[in-house]
Amino acid sequence: MYGWIWRHLPGNAWVRALISLVLALIVVYILFQYVFPWAEPLLPFNDVTVDNGMAAVR
Amino acid sequence: MTTSKPSGRRRAASVISVIGEVLITAGLVLALFVVYSLWWTNVLADRHAAKASEKVRQQWAAGPTGTGKQAARGLDTKDGIGFLHVPAMGKNFQVLVKKGTSTSVLNEGVAGYYTDPTPAAMPWEKTGNFTLAAHRDGHGAKFHDINKIHTGDPVVFESKDTWYVYKVYKVLDQTSKYDVAVTDQIPQESGVKKPGRYITLTTCTPVYTSRYRYVVWGELVRTQKVDAQRTPPPELR
Repeated sequence: MYGWIWRHLPGNAWVRALISLVLALIVVYILFQYVFPWAEPLLPFNDVTVDNGMAAVR
Repeated sequence: MTTSKPSGRRRAASVISVIGEVLITAGLVLALFVVYSLWWTNVLADRHAAKASEKVRQQWAAGPTGTGKQAARGLDTKDGIGFLHVPAMGKNFQVLVKKGTSTSVLNEGVAGYYTDPTPAAMPWEKTGNFTLAAHRDGHGAKFHDINKIHTGDPVVFESKDTWYVYKVYKVLDQTSKYDVAVTDQIPQESGVKKPGRYITLTTCTPVYTSRYRYVVWGELVRTQKVDAQRTPPPELR
């Protein structure tokens, strides 16, 4: 998978490394900005209030 | 690679290596999620809370300092009603208090007062329970150190015109998340029977999970008018 990406990037090793780094940063950005905020409420790690069970669906 | 069937072996090897890369990637994503939860959400929430706190302070400074009830208390608005100070959680610990305990409110790095299931009483009301919740981890983690609060410690709520000094009289270090009785107006679970002016702090426990709830109860000891310099009461010095 990563090997495949590496082989399909243009340029020499340095250019490829640079592009790889940029791609990795884009992925991290998308995760932090969109994926994790979406996933977090679905995971039971951060409910702090007492409730009568209704909050389970929020 | 010198076997008689190199292509079959190579295909198997490449399938396995793809699976391996997927697993490594999943591990990295999970690690990043931990970084996100425990660090990045704090950065965002603290930034947001600092701005919101500053805004409330400016409104207080700008607003009339009259004796009119609403003008004095200022603003039970969406901007926040005041600040909670808990010296046991750090000398300069303060957190903005806003209305509601929904995820979107608490994620701003503030403490929220309950509107559901039992609406909180405001500190200035004659009797009632001022019930609050805040995050233990992530999103500001304002109540992270709640376990450092002990019986007898002061908890101070600062409104526009008054310091409300509470004294902690009971700590419940673990209870069910469905234990809504802890936020009752007379929190009998804490051992009190009569109406009074109580404060209740709730958050999740143990740290990094939401399995149980941690509850701290306090009772109003006295109030103190805010002076022109906003000199904090002795409990905060």
